[in-house]
Amino acid sequence: MQNVLNPGGIPFWRNVVFIQWAVQIVSAIFVLVIVSGFIFNVANEIREREIPFGFSFLDDAAQIPIGESVIAYDPSQSYLYGFIVAALNTVKASVLGVILATLLGIVIGVARLSRNWLLSKLALVYIDTFRNIPLLIQLLFWFLIVLELPNVREGYVFFDSFYLNNSGFYLPWATPLGGFWPWMILTFAGIALGIGAYNYLQRREITTGKPSYPLIAAFVIFILLTVVGFVIFTPWEVVAPEPQGRFGRLQGGAKLTGSFFALLIGLVIYTSAFIAEIVRAGIQAVNRGQTEAARSLGLNTIASLRHVVFPQALRVVIPPMISQFLNLTKNSSLAAAIGYPDIVSVASTMTQIAPAISLIGMVMVTYLAMSLFYSLIGNIYNRVTKYAGVG
Amino acid sequence: MTVGVPGWIRTNLFSSPLDGVITIVLAVIIAIGAFNAVNWVFFTASWEVITSRVPLYVIGRYPQDLYWRPETALLLVSVLLGMGWRMWGGLARGFAIAIIIITLLAGVLPYLGVDLSPPTDPDAPPNEPKHLVNAMFILNFVAVAVGYGLAMIPSIGRAKTFFITAVVFFIISAFLIIGSSYIPGLDPVPTQDLGGLTLNLLLAAVGIVCSIPIGIALALGRRSQLPFLKYFCVGFIEIVRGVPLITLLFMSRHILPLTFPETVSIDELYLAMITITLFSSAYMAENVRGGMAAVATGQTEAARALGLRAWQTTIMITLPQGLRNIIPAIVGQSIGLFKDTSLVFIIGMLDLVEMGRVTIQGNLDFVDDGHEVYIFIAVVFWVFTSSMSYVSRRIETALGVGRR
Repeated sequence: MQNVLNPGGIPFWRNVVFIQWAVQIVSAIFVLVIVSGFIFNVANEIREREIPFGFSFLDDAAQIPIGESVIAYDPSQSYLYGFIVAALNTVKASVLGVILATLLGIVIGVARLSRNWLLSKLALVYIDTFRNIPLLIQLLFWFLIVLELPNVREGYVFFDSFYLNNSGFYLPWATPLGGFWPWMILTFAGIALGIGAYNYLQRREITTGKPSYPLIAAFVIFILLTVVGFVIFTPWEVVAPEPQGRFGRLQGGAKLTGSFFALLIGLVIYTSAFIAEIVRAGIQAVNRGQTEAARSLGLNTIASLRHVVFPQALRVVIPPMISQFLNLTKNSSLAAAIGYPDIVSVASTMTQIAPAISLIGMVMVTYLAMSLFYSLIGNIYNRVTKYAGVG
Repeated sequence: MTVGVPGWIRTNLFSSPLDGVITIVLAVIIAIGAFNAVNWVFFTASWEVITSRVPLYVIGRYPQDLYWRPETALLLVSVLLGMGWRMWGGLARGFAIAIIIITLLAGVLPYLGVDLSPPTDPDAPPNEPKHLVNAMFILNFVAVAVGYGLAMIPSIGRAKTFFITAVVFFIISAFLIIGSSYIPGLDPVPTQDLGGLTLNLLLAAVGIVCSIPIGIALALGRRSQLPFLKYFCVGFIEIVRGVPLITLLFMSRHILPLTFPETVSIDELYLAMITITLFSSAYMAENVRGGMAAVATGQTEAARALGLRAWQTTIMITLPQGLRNIIPAIVGQSIGLFKDTSLVFIIGMLDLVEMGRVTIQGNLDFVDDGHEVYIFIAVVFWVFTSSMSYVSRRIETALGVGRR
């Protein structure tokens, strides 16, 4: 029987297995000593300075006002509920921000590649300016601009239904009526049927070679069901804000408060500058030979864009884009500087009474959950679009 | 048709009717915007909020008696810029000239009756020019010349010497500016007195310089096949990258002090430095990992074939080539970190942005000058970040990254 530590006569200190285990054990001890030292100190300090700790506070009444919320909130509700309200505010800002920043970023990115010299240079100036100035200054600046708007009665009105003044931006918004849920079910059915029809027709087109217009068919099915549902159920109506009473308070529609409006403008402009660069790089990354090859195979312009250029550009664009979405979500924490009640700003208000350590832990876990969500999307995308036989 | 100025205009501005409409609309918008901007800058805006308190924006409430310390640090920077001017020209020359002009103005203006000292009591007599302070400002052009001269010596005018000098000067400057109770003659400056642009630059420089070794260690840990090390590094990197810096700073204020024994009291400045360094190392680790992954596998195989051990291969082959790959990424990260240093307001430090905000919110005279303050600060940041990104593009071209 051969000695495990001495195979083939190599002394044990030169045995790879031994070295690896030794390094691992030494580093584990090293890390454990440091980490446990920190934890020991923290625990000690918590005990000695009687710093509050634990999660029992979550059921108590929060007693702090939260300026705006997606779901109804009042200060008598619990800390946990207040925390969820704040987290939803963060989600609201980041979802809207991601959508608008993507749209604006694509427009700027395409403008950057325009053959029009003036347009292209203007896009370059936009990108260079907003990317290179700290978001905090931009937010403070936009917030200043919003605060300097005239008051409610003298504010700007567009088309009799959009109101812009120093208390925020008011716009017409859909109010759900009785038939909302049946309509939603029909709409989702439309999406499902559309995807099914798309897959079926696409397969038919590939196997038989007959043009079957899968995309058009899918959209027709979806729009037909949605419109029919709308006519049958009248699911919602659009209500425009109306000035009420002596002080011209605006009622109805949707309201974006001043700080939310400033946050949204700042996040969208800042992130769109980054997205524009990603879009530009993505389009430029597709080799011109690809278009030429597609054209010489007999695909027309739209078909070569749709089947050859866009799929390849998207492959370059989507991963950095997702990391920009994550950045936008994390950057929304700067809301604390302009008084929008996001998760960080509410949690820091709560720390005046509740244990700071627990709250910071909760905030960090929430952000980690969001970043995991984004990387999950990224991984799924990578798996779906992976080239056969590559990496 | 495409020759000469008319041809250029036709192909680039009026290639189709739609193109022409876009050009005209944009030209009108730009003209109106430019007119309003010029009008505002020169006639509407009141710049007194900036000019009357320049030192506050530059270095905060730093004690005037100790101005020689940051000024010495500035002289060291000038020497470096002089070296850079001789070695690469370009942007280093631009910065060297800018610093000479600015410091000459700062040194000479007090003798021409312009008071640049920090605002004091309005009833106090005007400050006498401080000869030492002004002389040290004026000396900057000498420092640039010294640097230029040094770089002419072949053994000194090399990139390696430059970077070693830069790191040594950086450490000296940091100690000069912050002070240390262990060095006689360099009393620590109270954290509340250190602020303005100097604080942003200091935090960003400390964050980047210190995060390089930590980032390399984390990246090597993540690449290793030892599960414990690997998952510890992965956990650290992903957690730090998954949360905003603001929550980490927030945590540093509440938790970091508790991780040290009670006898060690930690100043906010060091808390900010530790947090920013840890934050930056996680991103640096990912850069290093990316750079090392881009090194061709043939390099490793060749090294192994020559008989190098695994650690020798990493230290002598993969890591240097990987680091070379990521120089532009490090500059990019410096830009991001420099912008992020504006977040230290959350732990109550008076960096450039917070100084501006305090100025307009705390002074009845300046309540309406918010635009001026924020635009001034934005321009200052923009000058630094955009010149850094210019440097990054130049290095990228010089190294030929992505083209080999």
